[in-house]
Amino acid sequence: MEPVISIRNIGKQFSAVRALDNVSFDVMPGELHAVMGENGAGKSTLMKILSGVISDFEGEFRLRNKPVEFSSTRDAENAGVSIIHQELNLVEQLSVAANIFLGRESRSWLGILNQLEMDDRAAALLAELDTNLFPHALVSTLRVGDQQLVEIAKALSLQAEILIMDEPTSALTESEVERLYRVIEKLRTKGVTILYISHKMEEVFRLADRITVLRDGQFVQTLDRKETTPRAIAHLMVGRDIAPRIKHTTARDSAVVLETKNLSLLWPGHSRGWRLQNVSLKLHRGEILGVAGLMGAGRTELLECLFGASELPPQGEILIDGQPTRFSHPSQAMKAGIAMVTEDRKRLGLFAHMTVRENITVCALGDVSSAGVISRTRETTAAISQVNSLSIKTDSPEAPITTLSGGNQQKCIIGRCMLTNPKVLLLDDPTRGVDIGAKAELYLLMEQLASDGMAIIVTSSELPELLTVSDRILVLSEGVLTGEFSRSEATEQKIMEAATKAQA
Amino acid sequence: MSSTTPSILRRLWSSVEFKLILAWLAVVIATMVLDPGHTYWKNPRDSSELIIRQTVLLGFFALGSAVIIISGGIDLSSGSVIAMSATVFGSLLILLDPEGFNSGHLETWVVIVATIGTLLSGAMVGTLHAWLITCVGLPPFIATLATLVGLRSFSRGLTQAVNNNKSQIEFPDLVWRDHIKDVTSVSIVFVALALAVWFLMSRTVIGRHLHAMGGNEQAAKLSGIPTDRLKWLAYVLGAVAASMVGIVYFADTGAAKPDIQARGYELNAIAAAVIGGCSLQGGVGTILGTVLGCLFLRTVIDAVNKIVGTGADVYEGMIVGIVVVMAVTFSQRGVSSRIRPFFGTTIGWAAIPVLSLLAGLSFMLFFRDRPWFGAWHAVVFGIIVAGILLVRGIIEIRQKRAV
Repeated sequence: MEPVISIRNIGKQFSAVRALDNVSFDVMPGELHAVMGENGAGKSTLMKILSGVISDFEGEFRLRNKPVEFSSTRDAENAGVSIIHQELNLVEQLSVAANIFLGRESRSWLGILNQLEMDDRAAALLAELDTNLFPHALVSTLRVGDQQLVEIAKALSLQAEILIMDEPTSALTESEVERLYRVIEKLRTKGVTILYISHKMEEVFRLADRITVLRDGQFVQTLDRKETTPRAIAHLMVGRDIAPRIKHTTARDSAVVLETKNLSLLWPGHSRGWRLQNVSLKLHRGEILGVAGLMGAGRTELLECLFGASELPPQGEILIDGQPTRFSHPSQAMKAGIAMVTEDRKRLGLFAHMTVRENITVCALGDVSSAGVISRTRETTAAISQVNSLSIKTDSPEAPITTLSGGNQQKCIIGRCMLTNPKVLLLDDPTRGVDIGAKAELYLLMEQLASDGMAIIVTSSELPELLTVSDRILVLSEGVLTGEFSRSEATEQKIMEAATKAQA
Repeated sequence: MSSTTPSILRRLWSSVEFKLILAWLAVVIATMVLDPGHTYWKNPRDSSELIIRQTVLLGFFALGSAVIIISGGIDLSSGSVIAMSATVFGSLLILLDPEGFNSGHLETWVVIVATIGTLLSGAMVGTLHAWLITCVGLPPFIATLATLVGLRSFSRGLTQAVNNNKSQIEFPDLVWRDHIKDVTSVSIVFVALALAVWFLMSRTVIGRHLHAMGGNEQAAKLSGIPTDRLKWLAYVLGAVAASMVGIVYFADTGAAKPDIQARGYELNAIAAAVIGGCSLQGGVGTILGTVLGCLFLRTVIDAVNKIVGTGADVYEGMIVGIVVVMAVTFSQRGVSSRIRPFFGTTIGWAAIPVLSLLAGLSFMLFFRDRPWFGAWHAVVFGIIVAGILLVRGIIEIRQKRAV
């Protein structure tokens, strides 16, 4: 049998980061081919190349034995390749039908939109997927799982023969995941080839025919699912042992630094009505508290409330060292000794047009200036102190921040926080987009900070990571605290159960 | 440690400022050669005074625009603020000292109070902008669009109200008028302001925060930077700078004419800032670059006026438009190594006749009064331009195939 996709020596360089290097493998027609790897292994980049999102890359790939060169997703779709992105690509203000036929609207003569026909065809496609979504419902009113089905319906409408799914279950509840599995089965009986990106062992071993493992942008191996085990795959994904955790003594009995009582955050205009509901927690000195939850569970919102960065002011109480506080701006939170490393580094953290030095010192300019005038020497000293103590790999503090790798950029932002001498450090998914070696370093760093007495709250989209670093794990589901586990009790199973607990 | 940090020479070479100085020198030399009247040779003093005056007047509010642009905003209202300030200044003179206004001899205190009042009115406009943007939540484009339209009409009403339903206010006192419009003192004030703003932007915490906010407002807010107050500062600075220009213009032209004065100048200021290397995305730009951008823009306008000889400001808009497009195009090219296909696409081919027609017509407009001019000159010029663009398009396509 001829492979439907042949990937040959594909490489991709993003400024300083080698995202993919000389990757080659084949995908057979009709199979469900899982691509696995840690964050930063290059899975998403590879899929963006296959689906035409990225058009300049090294190497080539062949579709049904013909070399192809997509210059846009449109080209890829015309060739029968569709992608369902992890972050969905829908126009929320438009209806389901309008999204499915976006850019390929059916028209009557004179070029007027034929709304009825599109609605009918959309309804037929959705029926094929066993869903009862209305074609004219606005996408913004749908849950994430339903939005994903709209994307799949769109791919079906394109007669996609190859469907790329990029971590499709990352935002789904358990029942939605089951429904997605049924949809995938349907697609397979129709002969659709599926490339399935995931780092979840369980679902890959349930669905896949073959598994390709990538690590640090390189191809490791393609294996038959029946001939391998989750353990073997995990070993291939990691490739080396993550540095063992230096266990610090859990400071359970020591002082409570931060406490919340019935913290709630409203969500006007949403059917649920709240982003957070009655969250009460305590954070001790020298403790690393993990916060788990699915996408949209309220992890980021919780940290934003604690940092005075939420869009609406939260209700309930926040106490620091037993004193009730109320922050309306992050600057107040910083004065009170709270620092935050934001989740979306590019959008919320980095000043991409600035240097390493400027990025590190931006929060602490008051300490290196007199009468509002910055002292360059003191500023440089402060920046270098962080570069050294966090071992940030950079040519010089004057290098543009964008020349650093993701992990080192993240360290610069942590260094920025450190310069404000915080008591409480909030880390929102700090290892996102960071390669695996740098991850281990970040874990060690957190460990070290905690043993120096800093209280840390960390969220992560990866459970194994939380299990590695946290002394205690809280679980959020739809904005409500649904579980609390000590380090010894916590397992992935228990956390997932709590995280998918549906709210009444 | 500094192994990959570029050397001082290379940094100088790649800086916008250095390129602007070179381009400026090229324009000056070209004008010396091509100007049929040879004004730069014959009368360097007057020529440079004219250019300096125009540069400085543009520079005042371009500085304000640059600060706003670097901080991630935009100010469309500066032309109207100039007109308003001239009107407010004139109105204050009338109201404070009606006799002096009529007799043509103003008291010193009247001029000082009127100046302070005018600058205060500028600060109030800046505060209004900041309120609309930070509290009401309007995009800067909309907030300043509203004042662009609104303040000019307000000024016309004010003029009629204080000056017997006339549509303008004459500058009453000839001695004061000469003082205020004196190139030397205006230039000194400008240099002082430029130095102050340069210091603010490049050496102080506030300047760093303005850059940070312009580059990534969310991140700046999350870094504890008081973004709202910084915006207030930027918009007040922009409006006060425009107010200063308003007073000088009032003296320079001899009258506050709110219906036509400084119309469209806001775009010149934005253009000067952009030519000087400011990015409309915010976060990027320098004060020196902006000042050089003003100098370059005014010199090009002056050069075209000299060479073409119309003397009028008829072609000013065309020149600003062309210079902005070219400046931004060339600074973009530095970023990506691949040559951007300008003409080798469907829209590119469609643009060739447009550009050629424009070139031919401009040629005709510029040189129609010359004794040697005939319509066929313009036609040939248009055809030559079309030919050059076609060749470029063909080269682009061949290069694309080669890749």
